[in-house]
Amino acid sequence: MPSADQIRSDIAALVPRLRRFARALTGQVADADDVVQTAVERALMRLDQFEPGTRLEAWLYSIVRNAWIDEARSRQRRAKVFAPAELGEQVGDDAAATAHARLEAGEVWAAMRRLPEEQREAVALVCVEGFAYREAADALGVPIGTLTSRLARGREALQRMLGETT
Amino acid sequence: MSVSDEELMAFADGELDAQRRAIIQAAVEADEALQRRVEAHRRMRTKLADAFSGVLSEDMPARLRAAAAGEAQSAEVVQLGARRSARWSMREWGAMGASLAAGWLIAVGLFTSTTPALKTDGDGLVASGVLSRALDTQLASDEAGAVRVGLSFRAQSGDYCRTFSLTQNDVSGLACRERQSWRVLVTAREQNAGEVRMASAPAIMDSVDQIIEGEPLDAEAERQARDRGWR
Repeated sequence: MPSADQIRSDIAALVPRLRRFARALTGQVADADDVVQTAVERALMRLDQFEPGTRLEAWLYSIVRNAWIDEARSRQRRAKVFAPAELGEQVGDDAAATAHARLEAGEVWAAMRRLPEEQREAVALVCVEGFAYREAADALGVPIGTLTSRLARGREALQRMLGETT
Repeated sequence: MSVSDEELMAFADGELDAQRRAIIQAAVEADEALQRRVEAHRRMRTKLADAFSGVLSEDMPARLRAAAAGEAQSAEVVQLGARRSARWSMREWGAMGASLAAGWLIAVGLFTSTTPALKTDGDGLVASGVLSRALDTQLASDEAGAVRVGLSFRAQSGDYCRTFSLTQNDVSGLACRERQSWRVLVTAREQNAGEVRMASAPAIMDSVDQIIEGEPLDAEAERQARDRGWR
């Protein structure tokens, strides 16, 4: 069984991925980092609740996701968070990317923000974070069939929004 | 053969068991429309992954490093300093805007008491009174009175800088040696734990990150710098 110190250092190593997941969930840089900060602090306070033998990632991702749900609910700021006007600010963040890549990423971000929450989190876990369906379903606490159906609807909607026809 | 979109998606994602995979594989090979749908699923997945992959190589904000190191939001600057590791980004002095909200500093009495801890000059804020004395002489290991001194370090400019908190006002800040005085570059108000928004200690640490050269001074180097008058 890993020591608490080992788990702490594993958590620290996962922070960049948690940021990416939170970015996909929130569509917003500052909110994403707020959510990750809250989640990491919660995780460290509740290390005793982590079940050894289960995947640390899945545990952390579910904490991030719950932190986002709390955040969005408590502040009732979804309307603001998902305002299209914020797009430029987010897209401009990645100075290294080429203009074209930024444009494309911006379109994807915008489309993601328009998905219903439950579809967005399924898409974020599987397509952005590379979770297997089973892992994603566990992290979200839903049956795998539910996960698959949300994922399919989310991707279908994204394909429509991003002009990908089949 | 008709294939549901969910099953086709699962096929594209490599999520089917061997038996179903073989069946769908055969169907896809026989049907160009199905092939296009599988490819569209895979393209979408790649596009989504690419759109967010840049996040992984971004600099980590100091507040997240602090959180991952176990620093609660209301953590004292001194603790942050003791545990912080390598600096992640190097920016210019000029990038640091004055994050000073004079209104609340006045509200907590830092200017207006008979022995103010801060005063203004033509260029901004300088330490005064008890704060100035503490920055001159107090070590991080000393028992805190009205001022607790956190970490000390050399800035890229070569000047010594120190973080501090005013224990009675819940204000923390960063000051750098300038000739005979301490110029206060940043101040922040401590916040209660449990708030989601960034609290002061991480805000101060962000500023430290921007100007520090190398690592913070250890206790011995801090003492030597103090004994040399921070020159």
